[in-house]
Amino acid sequence: MNPTAPPPRPRRRRGQRRRPVFAIAVTVVFFVLLYLPIAMVVLFSFNAQKSLTIFKGFSLRWYEAFFHDSVLLGSLGMSLEVSLVAMLGSVVLGVALALGLVRNKGRLGAYAGLIMMVPLITPEIVTGVASLLLFKGLGVTLNSGTVMIAEITFSISYVTVILRSRVAALNPEVEEAAMDLGATRWQALRLVTLPALLPAILASAVLIFALVFDDFVLAYFTTGVDPQPLAVRIYSAIRFGVEPTINAVGTLMLAGSITLIGLALAIPRLFGRRGGLDLISGE
Amino acid sequence: MTPTTAPSAAPEAVPAVRLDHVGKEFNGSHAVHDLCLDIAPGEFFSLLGPSGCGKTTTLRMIGGFADPTEGAVLLSGEDVTSLPPNKRNVNTVFQSYALFDHLSVADNIAFGLKRKGVPKAEIRERVGAMVDLVQLGGMAERKPRTLSGGQRQRVALARALVNRPAVLLLDEPLAALDLKLRRQMQVELKQIQREVGITFVFVTHDQDEALTMSDRVAVMNGGRVEQCGTPEDVYERPESRFVAAFMGTSNLVGGVFRDGAVHLDGGPALPVGPRPGIAEGSAVDVSIRPEKIWLSDFEPGMPVVNGVIRETVYSGPTTTYLIELAPGVTVAALEQNTARARMEDRWAGGETVELAYDPEHALVLSH
Repeated sequence: MNPTAPPPRPRRRRGQRRRPVFAIAVTVVFFVLLYLPIAMVVLFSFNAQKSLTIFKGFSLRWYEAFFHDSVLLGSLGMSLEVSLVAMLGSVVLGVALALGLVRNKGRLGAYAGLIMMVPLITPEIVTGVASLLLFKGLGVTLNSGTVMIAEITFSISYVTVILRSRVAALNPEVEEAAMDLGATRWQALRLVTLPALLPAILASAVLIFALVFDDFVLAYFTTGVDPQPLAVRIYSAIRFGVEPTINAVGTLMLAGSITLIGLALAIPRLFGRRGGLDLISGE
Repeated sequence: MTPTTAPSAAPEAVPAVRLDHVGKEFNGSHAVHDLCLDIAPGEFFSLLGPSGCGKTTTLRMIGGFADPTEGAVLLSGEDVTSLPPNKRNVNTVFQSYALFDHLSVADNIAFGLKRKGVPKAEIRERVGAMVDLVQLGGMAERKPRTLSGGQRQRVALARALVNRPAVLLLDEPLAALDLKLRRQMQVELKQIQREVGITFVFVTHDQDEALTMSDRVAVMNGGRVEQCGTPEDVYERPESRFVAAFMGTSNLVGGVFRDGAVHLDGGPALPVGPRPGIAEGSAVDVSIRPEKIWLSDFEPGMPVVNGVIRETVYSGPTTTYLIELAPGVTVAALEQNTARARMEDRWAGGETVELAYDPEHALVLSH
């Protein structure tokens, strides 16, 4: 047996092994500030009393109250409906736009690509006011339809941004192969290209649903009076004093959002490859 | 009917592919220029050339992925110039294989048959037979991503062949494989082609591949066919400097043709025999393959030239000698390592040797 060299002693330089106390403190403060208010909402949604400051025992009465509140339920229904329609509309248009932008190599495609980015950098309140002025100018009655149109317009860019890199990464020979094997252009798109894009499409759909469901600004400017989207309804309710019912609604929305985001992140894994929300997971 | 055209007793077979003065222009420059080719049914035909010579563009025009700007493409006598790919009875094996990653191997292969509405039972049977033909047994339910490069290549081949096209187009299908696998697939592809009897149009930049697999080869350069013929034709009797240089290694030596010999600048004259097509006193190139230069055991009547060994390159079965005939004029000579098997038997740099060749093998190419 060879004599083994003694293991190198860990050199202790000054400060090397000290715990980064300051960094830990900042991190803790950051997370407390970020999550404490949310934790309070969740906690007090289960409060047995009406107090918003003292917890008096566990109860589901505020959830019960919510499920008997026809106005809030109407708002929830409208928000779900708006989110679903906005999701479908913006995904169909956004995917089509992504395909068009990538495949149009000319100047038109380049300009369209730039214009497509504008909604992403425009302050939402500007979009909201502009939409309101447009609808008023056209004499359109504000209702759930106007919210849907505004939300779709706003969401297309997100879908396109997510999909565009995926479309660009597609091998053009794959679609050619489909046509070579007898598929028409439309069949090639439906049978080969869209399935290849499916993870990204699903991920962007979930993201849009969550964004639209939560959205307040655009909804506030473009909705009619009755019913109002849930976020707008909650805002109106709070102006006349906070009911703990709102905590219950907020907790339910939080649970819904977490589920959706988890879904969006899990989709690429379900398909056994990357390709979903690169914006979040990074590449 | 005019009396001059006699009715032919045995009508010549309609070519599987006919390119009739086909041209393709991209932004004012010709990728393919005035191309005329006839490819016979059942032929293994190669389009060979360096990258950018127009071979892939030609293949894409046969497949319907590129529209010719001039001329017509005929498949089995039918003009298909304006038909889209899905209306042509050809199938393509793409360079990238272009497999459908979301479908299993079996579904990839079945794709074309499903589009044609072939009954399910028949699809299953034909896909099964094709999986066996390309030796993918047991892989039918796997996804393409889980396969090796060679296996993916076979799926691409099976997916195209299962449709029994009149013509199979192959765009450098072996380029992505390593050398050993490539050699193996060359033999397999040729066997499969013989077995199914389908016309293969094979694009490659690898002259070995074209020579070993093809019935006929078209050597392309700058959007034109430089020469078209059997592998032996293009290798043994190149008609242009480009073909001589592109097909394998060749010694190209410039000189002046006079009295049945090419006189090198400041060097010896290389007898080449009478060449009726070449004008006396014109500047020409002589092309002699390295393996056609003899260094010993000359046969009577061979012209003999002196040279000085400059380099000896040993490569297992053969040794290549670089021999200087005149200042600045060097030729390569290839010898089997049989007579001079041992190192000390081979010539070293600086030694003077005698070279001989058959004048028939010294090709004269005019400028």
